[in-house]
Amino acid sequence: MDFDIIFGNAARAAFGPEAIILALAAIGLNIHFGFTGLLNFGQVGFIMLGAYGTSVAVATFGWSLWVGIPIGLFLALALAVALGIPTLRLHAVMFAIVTIAAAEIIRILIGSTDAIGLTGGPLSVSFDAGAFFDLNPYADGPQDRYGVGTFAFTGQQMWVITVGWVLVALVSFGVFLIIRSPWGRVLKSIREDQDAARSLGKNVFSYKMQALMIGGVIGGMAGVIDAIKTSGADPNGFRPQVTFYTYTALLLGGTATYLGPVLGAILFWFLREWIESFLRQLAAEAWLPGAIADFLEGSEGIISVGMVGLALVLLMLFRPQGITGNRIEMQLDAR
Amino acid sequence: MRRGKILLGLALGLLMVLAVPALAQDGADPGQTQLNGTIRFGFDQFFEGVTITVADSSGAEVGQAATDADGRWSVPVPGPGAYRVSIDTGTLPEGIGLREGQESVVDAAVDAGQSRAVVFAVGEAPKGTPFGERAAQTVFNGFKFGLIIAMSAIGLSLIYGTTGLVNFAHGELVTFGAVIAWYFNSSWGELNLIVAAVLTVIVCGMLGAGLESGLFRPLRTRRLGIFQLVVITIGLSLLGRQLVQLFFGAEPLPYRDFQVQERWEFGPWAVTPREVATIAVILAALVTVGLMLQKTRFGKATRAVADNADLAAVSGINVNRVVLIVWVMGAALAGLGGVFQGLDADIDPFLGFQLLLLIFAGVELGGLGTAYGALAGSLIIGMSTEVSTLWISPELKFVVPLAALILVLLLRPQGLFGVKARVG
Amino acid sequence: MPADRIPSKESAPDDRSSFMDSARRTTEVEPILTVHPEPGVAKPNPILTMDGLRRSFGGLTAVDIDHLEIERGIVTALIGPNGAGKTTLFNLLTGFDRADRGSWKFDGHRVTSPSPDRLARRGMVRTFQLTKSLAKLSVLQNMLLGAPDQIGERLWAAPFRYLWRDQERINTERADELLEQFNLAHMRDEMAGTLSGGQRKLLEMARALMSDPALVMLDEPMAGVNPALAQSLLGHITQLSLSGVSVVYIVHDMDLVSGISDWVVVLAQGRVIAEGGPWKVIHDDVVIDAYLGRRRTGTAS
Ligand SMILES: Nc1ncnc2c1ncn2[C@@H]1O[C@H](COP(=O)(O)OP(=O)(O)OP(=O)(O)O)[C@@H](O)[C@H]1O
Ligand SMILES: [Mg+2]
Repeated sequence: MDFDIIFGNAARAAFGPEAIILALAAIGLNIHFGFTGLLNFGQVGFIMLGAYGTSVAVATFGWSLWVGIPIGLFLALALAVALGIPTLRLHAVMFAIVTIAAAEIIRILIGSTDAIGLTGGPLSVSFDAGAFFDLNPYADGPQDRYGVGTFAFTGQQMWVITVGWVLVALVSFGVFLIIRSPWGRVLKSIREDQDAARSLGKNVFSYKMQALMIGGVIGGMAGVIDAIKTSGADPNGFRPQVTFYTYTALLLGGTATYLGPVLGAILFWFLREWIESFLRQLAAEAWLPGAIADFLEGSEGIISVGMVGLALVLLMLFRPQGITGNRIEMQLDAR
Repeated sequence: MRRGKILLGLALGLLMVLAVPALAQDGADPGQTQLNGTIRFGFDQFFEGVTITVADSSGAEVGQAATDADGRWSVPVPGPGAYRVSIDTGTLPEGIGLREGQESVVDAAVDAGQSRAVVFAVGEAPKGTPFGERAAQTVFNGFKFGLIIAMSAIGLSLIYGTTGLVNFAHGELVTFGAVIAWYFNSSWGELNLIVAAVLTVIVCGMLGAGLESGLFRPLRTRRLGIFQLVVITIGLSLLGRQLVQLFFGAEPLPYRDFQVQERWEFGPWAVTPREVATIAVILAALVTVGLMLQKTRFGKATRAVADNADLAAVSGINVNRVVLIVWVMGAALAGLGGVFQGLDADIDPFLGFQLLLLIFAGVELGGLGTAYGALAGSLIIGMSTEVSTLWISPELKFVVPLAALILVLLLRPQGLFGVKARVG
Repeated sequence: MPADRIPSKESAPDDRSSFMDSARRTTEVEPILTVHPEPGVAKPNPILTMDGLRRSFGGLTAVDIDHLEIERGIVTALIGPNGAGKTTLFNLLTGFDRADRGSWKFDGHRVTSPSPDRLARRGMVRTFQLTKSLAKLSVLQNMLLGAPDQIGERLWAAPFRYLWRDQERINTERADELLEQFNLAHMRDEMAGTLSGGQRKLLEMARALMSDPALVMLDEPMAGVNPALAQSLLGHITQLSLSGVSVVYIVHDMDLVSGISDWVVVLAQGRVIAEGGPWKVIHDDVVIDAYLGRRRTGTAS
């Protein structure tokens, strides 16, 4: 068993594009859920539209990537409006279900054979992200690697990662600026008690809508990065689990904190990849009985996702405030 | 102490699932990028000599294969990517065709070194039927599907009503029922499916009892927020689904019994005895539960707890016992719902989760926490799902009920039969 | 004079001496004394006028008011047995519930599409019978939320601190004064969720006053507040009316009714069964019947 490889893999996942995508999705969700109290269970819908908006604009319509990206973000924004109008007045639990349903509707429509001409349907869509990689300052020869051991990236990956983490930093700072303002205070008051906010003259619907739009567009950014990273999009990548992973990352890092979603996303991918890598190494160990090794073989991914589920349960039981949150604040809920 | 109890509950739950022996997986040679599958009907009819053609996304043919005596086929492909797989239905035996709503061309993406299974669901070939008859048939299917949703929804609705818990793992109870019955039916002792279903109901009831007493009751005394509980159920749902994938596998499998049946003709309807039995059993279960809630002491107690648990407790009702019974009943019914759903459309790890969204939709459409609302909502959801296939591609049929839900909530945010909460 | 800055529409009389200053009060409320005390009577200068207001839940008619006027600048007590429809009436007037039919005018303008936030911005603020303090915000932040017309509450301005810093500072000063008056200054930076029940009542009332309201509607402000504190609450209420704010408050304790209110409206089974000056009303037979003789016990809610 080679722990250098395991840690290298885990670290690569923790700082790679996947973690960036998850971090952006979680920052958006943090605005919805953490600050405004909107139980959005359809965050994957925003990611999906960001990814497909970009991909389809470039692949199907042949437009430039620089047109495609704003289209992806605009679609995420449009989803926020379209989803918000009928649903923002609903009971929290109902809002949760309706948002899952909306994201599933979009996924089914995008992935249907009828949509092949537009989105590639079940075939997925792929496009040429050359416009983005033309700007790549990193040498990108077949031998170029940045990092040590298995914790290393290619030149192309380095470029995605650099842009991605800069984006995460900028977005986090932007979120910090608006949340510490009186505007952010109104969001929190809505989270605590929307009738109280109303009685103080705040237009709750309008603020929720603004929050939904901002968080949705940030989710859309996650989708754009995803599309660029994979040069395309696949409907199977946008199942409801993605939203649950996003919640896991957010809860892991700490809701309603500024750095929680980012730390959570890093930790999420670190742990998930660590487990998967560990199991893969374990399956190859000679001392392991054959039956167990066979069982593990090929099941590492399934097990690591199961661990996400277990982690969610344990997290809520033993540290509901996440790694950065404040326990005292959590307890105020119960009063 | 309390933590210990929770952990114990978790561990027990895990053990129960882990006790299921692993299935031997068919060993496709690793490293080869390929598409493969098995053409069969029911548990034991495999079709030989069926031609499968694979083309790449530009339409150029990549390979062709005919199924072997076990109905298996595989086509190696040159590399990762998206392929279009088609089945030549002319090579299927007489009277056998793709099941209703199945396409003869399927798109599949495969990763490097992966062998990707492609499923063509075959069965008795649908005959060209006039619209009226098809409409009648879809209404029947919708009614049956609505009943399955309704039965699975009872537990969700009652548990929400009595404890305020929104159980996202309810779908996994449904899956669990379907899968356990499959093991009883096909693996452990090869029991008749009826016996297997009875055992499944018992096992699921016990699982419900275990979850309530080992996990959710201790959690209630800790007074976790509603959201934290929701997250816990989401975690359990992920965990449960992955466990099913781990042991049962991701490939859809049918039960051994009742697959091939003569259809009985009733006017415009041609129904199998299996379907009639499904409907009869579910109706009986619904009526029993309804009577129980209306007439018995337990029912009164349940309604009292749902109304105000603290008040019920001080007036001498054993709240924990009521909730326990609700859990046992709800889980058992969900498991039975899983068996019927598995009988209808083979069993796979996502069976329950797919149903869960529709269960939620039904419960919300009717109005959260109203028993009859949930029933009506479920029937509407089931009907709209099936009837919509008269006009739109079956691929899209789940869009209709979900869109209907959003529309109804736009007009009546509290659901069809719900009441608005008061302010102040 | 920071300590004396009480929200006012007109210039606030600089008088914090005592609400028992009867001579002054008599001159203030004189016009109302000339009004004949009977249900639905017209008043000289109403701030709120209701007509045919009705709300029923299933078969139960919770509110059914033919005509009722609330006089401007005085303290009006709304009393009635449990379930009389007092809270429901508040909910209707402040837009938290929809009337089946009927209309009402606030400040001379007919309220057409009642939305709670719009009415609040027009100067009609309320508190709730079950307090709604914002648990995970500090007491100070709770107060600041009450301030009206904040530039920093608009999204475009939110990121730019210099645009709202000054206003925030002024609002903070104002909040500190009010917290001082309501005995909450020592809790300023605590989470509101840590306050006791009575303190929450105080906070909610103080928060409502942040916006310079024209009409304050208090749903049982005294419930659960200890007698000493209740006395000081009464003082605040009196001062509010002295500074020109109209106050309507729901109360059960008859002693508190007679102490400070200038006018009393009695609701029973959704209807106004009596109104008039406090002494008149609480000795009214109809009212005593409505309370089934329990008029002095202060029914718990
Ligand atoms: N949303 C609602 N649904 C059904 N009935 C309601 C609703 N809101 C109020 N009611 C009923 O209307 C009647 C009046 O209620 P309301 O809360 O206005 O009384 P109240 O005068 O404020 O009583 P209390 O002094 O106890 O606070 C009660 O019988 C109550 O049950
Ligand atoms: Mg009341």
